[in-house]
Amino acid sequence: MNLIEANELTLRYGKKTALERVSFSIPKGRVYGLLGHNGAGKTSLMKALVGLLPTDGQLSVLGLDPRRQRTELLSQLCYIPDVAVLPRWARVHELITLMSGLQPRFSADRARQLLKRTSVGLDDKVKSLSKGMVVQAHLALIAAIDAKLMILDEPTLGLDVMSRKGFYELLIDEWCDGERTVLISTHQVEEVETLLSDVLMLDEGRLVLNISLQDMDQRFVALSHDPAQADAVAAAHPLLRYRQTGGRGAAIFDGTPPEHVMGLGERIRPNLVDLFMALTRKPALAPSQS
Amino acid sequence: MQSWNDSAPIYQQLADRLAVQLLDGAPPEGEALPSVRQLAGQYLINPLTVSRALQALVDKGLVESRRGQGMYVTAGARDRLRRTERTRFLEREWPALRARLGRLGISSADLDWKDTQ
Repeated sequence: MNLIEANELTLRYGKKTALERVSFSIPKGRVYGLLGHNGAGKTSLMKALVGLLPTDGQLSVLGLDPRRQRTELLSQLCYIPDVAVLPRWARVHELITLMSGLQPRFSADRARQLLKRTSVGLDDKVKSLSKGMVVQAHLALIAAIDAKLMILDEPTLGLDVMSRKGFYELLIDEWCDGERTVLISTHQVEEVETLLSDVLMLDEGRLVLNISLQDMDQRFVALSHDPAQADAVAAAHPLLRYRQTGGRGAAIFDGTPPEHVMGLGERIRPNLVDLFMALTRKPALAPSQS
Repeated sequence: MQSWNDSAPIYQQLADRLAVQLLDGAPPEGEALPSVRQLAGQYLINPLTVSRALQALVDKGLVESRRGQGMYVTAGARDRLRRTERTRFLEREWPALRARLGRLGISSADLDWKDTQ
């Protein structure tokens, strides 16, 4: 059984469409990346998944209806919203006590074990911790919930590189066991690429890509070529053309282009950042709607 | 963070890195490789991708899966690896390198490669 089944989810705020007929399913044991520019609908989708926003369409999370069974659902999944804050006055061990009272599936022992991996002490006050330490403490607390699904909305936003690395290490080491799934939204695409098993890409409320990284390597073909071949490559209508570091040209095709086009260069790995640029519109470049 | 390039899929690049380590004797033949989860944590790579990399090494006969115990370096793995790496160097890399040496006007007398023997 899939952990999430979403069928034709649509959400509008007045005239603005946040989600437009979004359908996907998420099985167990995966690391799903939810990618999109700011305003693409990532947070709206995540809020819908945990029952905080109503949508049209059908939605099942852990076999439950998020709108009607929200309390039950929230006791069975781990969720860090984009505006997550821990109470500044609290000490970490007090948060563990708090979680023990709030969350039936929370294990205080597990939380203390996870916190040992961080530089956060049990007697530390939240307000004395750096932003990176707060986020790691939050992850340690959330990961101590015995659940099948974790939903993280932009968890590493505003963290420095060492904190982000520590966060991802904790996530990969302690959460990903082949059974549990995490859905993580971000626009820092290059950092999460290797962590992911699958990608959901949103652009202006539409799901423009839903693919496993393994299939991505097969379906999309990137070609590195001499600058002199640029016109010939362009004539084959790639999704995106760009310049590699070092000055060579490169292009991404959806599907394998004809042999004479492949002959214009060497096949390289289509990276997620380039694919992201190809499939989404940069907000700065989008024509004004007003 | 780890640096991966665009030359090949990530699993292939990880398999190549692990193969270089095998060639250096880490781990030695008959010994166990780190687990999928250890490698995933170390390289910050999805466990499924790590499994694909290990499978690529299995396909080359460099490591073998022992049921319930993980991956072990096969007997003769280093020799086999050295042979294929030698062939690859001589057939693919050497011609380009020799052409570059020629362009730079570097002769065998300028090189101290014998020191590595």
